[in-house]
Amino acid sequence: MSGIVRSEPFTLNIGPQHPSTHGVFRVKVTVDGEKIVDAEMVMGYLHRAMEKLAEERTYTQNIPFTDRADYLSSMSNNLGYVLAVEKLAGIQVPPRGNAIRVIMAELQRIANHCMAAGTFINDTGAWQTPVMWTFREREKIIDLFEMTSGARLTCNYMRIGGVAFDLPREFEPRARQLLEGLPGFFDEFEGLLVQNEIFLARTRGVGVVPPETAINASLSGPMLRASGVAWDIRKADPYCGYENYDFQIPLGYQGDSFDRFLVRIEEMRQSARIIGQALDGLPGGPHSTQVPLALRPPAGDAYARVEGPKGELGYYIVSDEGPSPYRFHIRAPSFINLSVLKEMVVGGTVADAVVSLGSIDIVIGEVDR
Amino acid sequence: MTREWTGAELAAAAERLVPGSVDRATATACFLKRDRLVETMAALRTDSETDFAHLTNLCGVDWWDRFEIVYHVQSLVANHVATIKVEVTDRGNPVVPSVSSVWWGAWMQECEAYDLFGITFDGHPNLHRIFLWEGYPGWPLRKDFLSMPGGLQPGLREFSGIERREPPPVKIVE
Repeated sequence: MSGIVRSEPFTLNIGPQHPSTHGVFRVKVTVDGEKIVDAEMVMGYLHRAMEKLAEERTYTQNIPFTDRADYLSSMSNNLGYVLAVEKLAGIQVPPRGNAIRVIMAELQRIANHCMAAGTFINDTGAWQTPVMWTFREREKIIDLFEMTSGARLTCNYMRIGGVAFDLPREFEPRARQLLEGLPGFFDEFEGLLVQNEIFLARTRGVGVVPPETAINASLSGPMLRASGVAWDIRKADPYCGYENYDFQIPLGYQGDSFDRFLVRIEEMRQSARIIGQALDGLPGGPHSTQVPLALRPPAGDAYARVEGPKGELGYYIVSDEGPSPYRFHIRAPSFINLSVLKEMVVGGTVADAVVSLGSIDIVIGEVDR
Repeated sequence: MTREWTGAELAAAAERLVPGSVDRATATACFLKRDRLVETMAALRTDSETDFAHLTNLCGVDWWDRFEIVYHVQSLVANHVATIKVEVTDRGNPVVPSVSSVWWGAWMQECEAYDLFGITFDGHPNLHRIFLWEGYPGWPLRKDFLSMPGGLQPGLREFSGIERREPPPVKIVE
């Protein structure tokens, strides 16, 4: 007996149907012993050719498609699309419409981060209790969406030139009630987890992305900010009047999974601040401008972007003066944030790969489109 | 606020860095020549004035007689964005140099453009069909690939007063 244990590379499929992949997504990892030596992503199980379908429908008919791209943050997707069409056609939105858009986008950010943080903790092994806590708060936000737009997840609420309906009378008291409860929830949630030794051991130093890599790999959103790069489109390129609100950009400094979690928690706090300010200063007047149903923007192209919950959510639209977009492209943040997955997981264990993947916060509807 | 470079400004900067690299400039975008694309992109990325360190978006557009590849690049420090385009006219075998050596994160978006448009990116480390499977017939986002049999445009006929776009001269991909 020489005392040397020999191993050989072994291929393991994580997914396509596995709770930690958050949908139908497959990672083919090659492990040598316990260490991952190679990882290959296999995606496309939910590819619906959304960009092709959009070329055959009018500009307004395309808004429901954007709901289905990232079905956990449909309001932000609506917003990015209508901003691109408005940029292309030169349409101005009334102040009340802009304020309502900000309220909805920030509520959506809290709902999305609740989901992201809850399922991320699920992936690390804290089974079910934290995710139920976050779902409880998310449910209240979804109730607000249902009250306003009639739908809970696929809201289809933004319109070119404003929003579909004005806020109902019950909205403001319910939203203020929600805002009163949110800071206590964040403290409770953070207190439960951030000092937890098992959680720290599972997430700190796992899936580290250095800032140079983050910029080089086109990352955006919480992924980029957790690496310490101060970049938020709401500050850098304000839209919908974000320059009038007072909020801060949380940054991580190590770029690991734990920092990404902390950045998301702190972003929820800042979003709650923005919603409070928007409700206080909600202007009167119309919520939308009149836009012709058969909108024909002038020929040209426009790229508009918003700071979605997952990162820079951009829409590139080309018009040929027809009733439908000539080309419709979604710059999907979860898709592009996945480009560093291999670098995050190689050298670690399979259990850490699940944590790294959970910390990216992907939604397969947006990855595959 | 983010400053958007006009096509002329960007063309001047690119011409200063790599002479002879610019094809033409429009109001919003600068068209670069294909043969010196990687060199020009690398220069635009590292130069202190342009500093386009972040490749935001990369996608293709089919204009029947040519493919356009559109790059949206930005600087996180100087807070400016620019639109760079490249044209390729060979519809049978479109080949564009890959910029994944400049911005390493471009590899996934180039795979997407290859998958949906059939544009080959020369020098790409791992070009494969990322959404569809190898051997899928046709390139779905090309205009001659019909999404409905017979070229139907399902959403448009519901509205009176909206005429349909003229059906293109196509052959259906088997």
